[in-house]
Amino acid sequence: MDQLLREHAEQQYAAELEALARLDSRPRPPRWKLSPWAVATYLLGGTLDDGTTITPKYLGNRRIIEVAIATLATDRGLLLIGVPGTAKSWVSEHLSAAVAGDSTMLIQGTAGTSEEAIRYGWNYARLLADGPSPDALVSSPLMRAMREGKIARIEELTRIPADVQDTLITIMSEKTLPIPELSMEVQAVKGFNVIATANDRDRGVNDLSSALKRRFNTVVLPLPDTLDEEVAIVQRRVSDLGRALELPAEPPALEEIRRIVTVFRELRSGVTADGKTKLKSPTGTLSTAEAISVVNSGLALAAHFGDGRLRAGDVASGLVGAVIKDPVQDHVVWQEYLETVVKERDGWKDLYRACRDLL
Amino acid sequence: MTTHIFGIRHHGPGSARSLRRALEDLRPDIVLVEGPPDAADVLPLLAQPDMQPPVALLIYAHEVPRLAVYYPFAVFSPEWQAMRYALTSGIPLRFMDLPQRHQMGVELALLDAPAAPPEGDPAAAPAPPEPPQPAEAEPTGTTAVAPEPQPAPINPQLDPIGALAEAAGYSDGERWWEQMVEQRSDAAGLFEAIQEAMATLRDGLTLTDPIEIRREAWMRQTIRQAVREGFQRIAIVCGAWHGPALVDLSNAAADGRILKGMPSVDVRATWVPWTYGRLSYRSGYGAGIESPGWYEHMFTVEAAVGPGRPASDRSFEITVRWMARVAQLLRGEGLDASSAHVIEAVRLAETLASMRGRSLPGLLELNEASQAVFCFGSDLPMRLIHDRLIVGERLGEVPEATPLAPLQQDLARLQKRLRLPAKASWEDKDLDLRNQTDLERSRLLHRLNLLKVSWGKLQGSSGKGTFRELWRLEWQPELSVGLIEAGIWGNTIADAAEAFARDAANRAAALPELTQLVDQALLADLPDAVAHLMRRIQDEAAVSSDIDHLMDALPPLANVLRYGNVRRTDTDAVAHVVDGMVTRAAIGLPSACAGLNDDAAAALFGRIVKTSGAVGLLQNEDLQAVWHSALRRVADLRGCHGLVAGRAVRLLLDAGVLNAGEAAQRLGLALSTAADPPQAAAWVEGLIKDSGTLLIHDDGLWSILDGWLMGLGAEAFTYTLPLLRRTFSSFNQPERRALGERARKGPAARVRRLSGTTDSAPFDPRRAEQSLDVVGRLLGINT
Repeated sequence: MDQLLREHAEQQYAAELEALARLDSRPRPPRWKLSPWAVATYLLGGTLDDGTTITPKYLGNRRIIEVAIATLATDRGLLLIGVPGTAKSWVSEHLSAAVAGDSTMLIQGTAGTSEEAIRYGWNYARLLADGPSPDALVSSPLMRAMREGKIARIEELTRIPADVQDTLITIMSEKTLPIPELSMEVQAVKGFNVIATANDRDRGVNDLSSALKRRFNTVVLPLPDTLDEEVAIVQRRVSDLGRALELPAEPPALEEIRRIVTVFRELRSGVTADGKTKLKSPTGTLSTAEAISVVNSGLALAAHFGDGRLRAGDVASGLVGAVIKDPVQDHVVWQEYLETVVKERDGWKDLYRACRDLL
Repeated sequence: MTTHIFGIRHHGPGSARSLRRALEDLRPDIVLVEGPPDAADVLPLLAQPDMQPPVALLIYAHEVPRLAVYYPFAVFSPEWQAMRYALTSGIPLRFMDLPQRHQMGVELALLDAPAAPPEGDPAAAPAPPEPPQPAEAEPTGTTAVAPEPQPAPINPQLDPIGALAEAAGYSDGERWWEQMVEQRSDAAGLFEAIQEAMATLRDGLTLTDPIEIRREAWMRQTIRQAVREGFQRIAIVCGAWHGPALVDLSNAAADGRILKGMPSVDVRATWVPWTYGRLSYRSGYGAGIESPGWYEHMFTVEAAVGPGRPASDRSFEITVRWMARVAQLLRGEGLDASSAHVIEAVRLAETLASMRGRSLPGLLELNEASQAVFCFGSDLPMRLIHDRLIVGERLGEVPEATPLAPLQQDLARLQKRLRLPAKASWEDKDLDLRNQTDLERSRLLHRLNLLKVSWGKLQGSSGKGTFRELWRLEWQPELSVGLIEAGIWGNTIADAAEAFARDAANRAAALPELTQLVDQALLADLPDAVAHLMRRIQDEAAVSSDIDHLMDALPPLANVLRYGNVRRTDTDAVAHVVDGMVTRAAIGLPSACAGLNDDAAAALFGRIVKTSGAVGLLQNEDLQAVWHSALRRVADLRGCHGLVAGRAVRLLLDAGVLNAGEAAQRLGLALSTAADPPQAAAWVEGLIKDSGTLLIHDDGLWSILDGWLMGLGAEAFTYTLPLLRRTFSSFNQPERRALGERARKGPAARVRRLSGTTDSAPFDPRRAEQSLDVVGRLLGINT
């Protein structure tokens, strides 16, 4: 196990799940490993009666997680939506680990995802040798989840071609998967449900048909609420990653991180931090994850080409790259932001000059 | 003889329902309601069928209409139910609160003491000025919704419900009350329990606020009076907090002492129509109810289901009907919302409620369910649900017999003072704004126009700079109706216009609308509204990607900035806005110049000329530099329409950024054989359009054009001739003639003229002084 680059949630947090299950006396929906209340505690953290500490897996609004869990307890699917970097897959993994004790029933959605990947495929050698039989069937993770009453996860649902997506409709409304070749079907056992994730920004790519949309409850995972929250997330991730990459730079000053996060938040929300001036927003998402990468690349620059301290010049190129995704539109947005906000802010002169030089 | 105290929370639908039932059971022979006795005269109007809630009882000081208090009532207000009950069953109804004539008297005395006239402060809420001590600001629940977070520990005197909620382990008093009282299904013993809780809370507390002490003393006196008159079953409806204080009626003498010698003012009472939007938080001085629409839903559904059914049935009914309404609303807006959605939303809401340990879904659960099921996670439809269902758009009605609203009285007063009577036939008025009375008349008419009471129409628009306004006045009967409708904006014409302008500013979607409003607000002399408009313009300018709007908005603002201090406008705010707009326009200009057709180029040409004029007017070198660099980029832009590029060069030349040699070079380049002929013609047109006279007199421009033309070879000249003809044909006949004559005289003529103007007529201060008087009179400086 130690050799694994990354463990599944149910492996990594086995002790916490076990403690929760032991102390959980509330009613559990059929085949759930924990009660909805305990699932919420698992995700949001807390201290149990026997003193076990449950680490928070998701930092943010409790209500969102409650809606997600309540959805799983009804028989509608759960669709998690958010811009990249808002912990959609992370929440989906931990939810299935806590509810079903198994987060591995996973289908990765891509433009090339076929119907076989969602329903079932065939072992063609067996098929040719013995003809159609249950033995020749290769079941998909979804089919296994239906049989075992677990949670199936579908990542990036909107990237799957529309006609393939619609395979899900019967499965989610009738809870059955017909196999016409064998004149049989797989009926879902209680406890089965689907968690899908989709990217906000790609909504137009393969928008869900309204028939499928109706089978899902949608929960939007937001970007961090407050500046401090986001700064804390960036700081923690940056120091983790910095250690992993073994960068010989000083950990960045809190002020510098705060400044970058401020820029991200202001442009993202279209209003300055003091709430006084409105701004145009660029086309890019400017998620927390991107802020982390800006700081990281700045650190690498500072370590290898600078004096080891993160300075405005080191982050400027990353910042400009993160903001300007569309060369025409975003350029105007960024320039306006520089001239009307950055230029006039006390103590930001160095950043203004560094960014100005890059334009 | 028995007295029954019903402690309620103002505007609680559950309280209203329980109260109505309790009154029907009790069958009192008099009902006393916590409310201003000043309104006794207008109370019978309540029984009229065309009185439709939400309405507000308006009490205002007759002499100082800005001093006013609104008591809003909705159908789910317990007081409303109590009043309706009393009036429909024909038993006496009395208000028992400390009369506003005394409350305002105290207030006025306080205001007068530091010699501060009640002129209102400019930072006041977007509405009539803060009522002095509105009934809603008393410590009975509605104060629990004060927007700022409650500091710990909660002072029970200020926020009794918050204190109880805190004791029960809730963070939010509103929520606690909602769950414990409003959503409770069996009303038995409810009022006794409330009374007991409040008594415990008040135990050992002594009131400190003198107004509060007097109010409770007055209430007790009113009850004593009813007892003396021999009523047998007295129902007392008051905020829960006051309940315990009204039990002990023994010490009448002490109360008499408390109430002695209070100052008093002349007050009037009337009813005005109200809206749910104004009942909600957002309107600044509402009753502090977040969700009137939801309350009405709860109240009406429960009334429709009736008391006979079990509580779970009723709550289920509320949830289902709510979701059905959400679906209907969304369907009406063209969004998917099927019955299956409704089923799923109800199930999710109930699951959520049970997960959170609630007996029935509250608004929070319903909203989260609606968002997850109906809205695909988006919050745009949620906003629709909020505005149309949760707050609701209901507008109340009052009967015709309702007394005049203060706004009408204010207008009558102004008409009298300004000697401007309302006449049904039209009449022209010529106003000289240098004269104080006329200026005030003009302001009044502009303000009324802003309020859409168009009594006067401005004939022949004259700009802000002139001092004469010609108005045509005609009072039409429907204007009175408009005036009553405008009453919700304020009690004086000035206040109402101000509030209206602010509201319009918040609703205006685009810059041109806003700049037009600024213009109106300036004419109507509403400085606070102008300041607010400036903030809005700044916000809109920041997100507007439409450079046309930006450039259109700039010149009027530059005018305000340049000449605005005459009207005491806050020029700092304007300057900040204008700075930002010039910068934004400069950044956006080059990309706006690409790919224009002839029509678009002509439009942009006009805008660039106007904007340049405005930037020049600002006399700010930094901004000019920014603007000029933008123009230079336009001039350098490949594929820019000739009209625009030519004008950019011309503007730069005028500003001295380009020197004559450079301009001549650009002219040559633009008209060289490689250039597309129509494009080249447009370029020259852009350079000299509308400036035939200037060309005659401006030697710089003349010599550039002349020098370039003389330098052309014969073949090139023939080639260019049609282009030039086309441009010059836009000048009028005398201009063309003058140009021709000048060309015939050649460069030598120019030199002679130059020397002639400088040498032969030296400046003579004595002669100049003689004209000063006339000039002064023309400008209106010395009359």
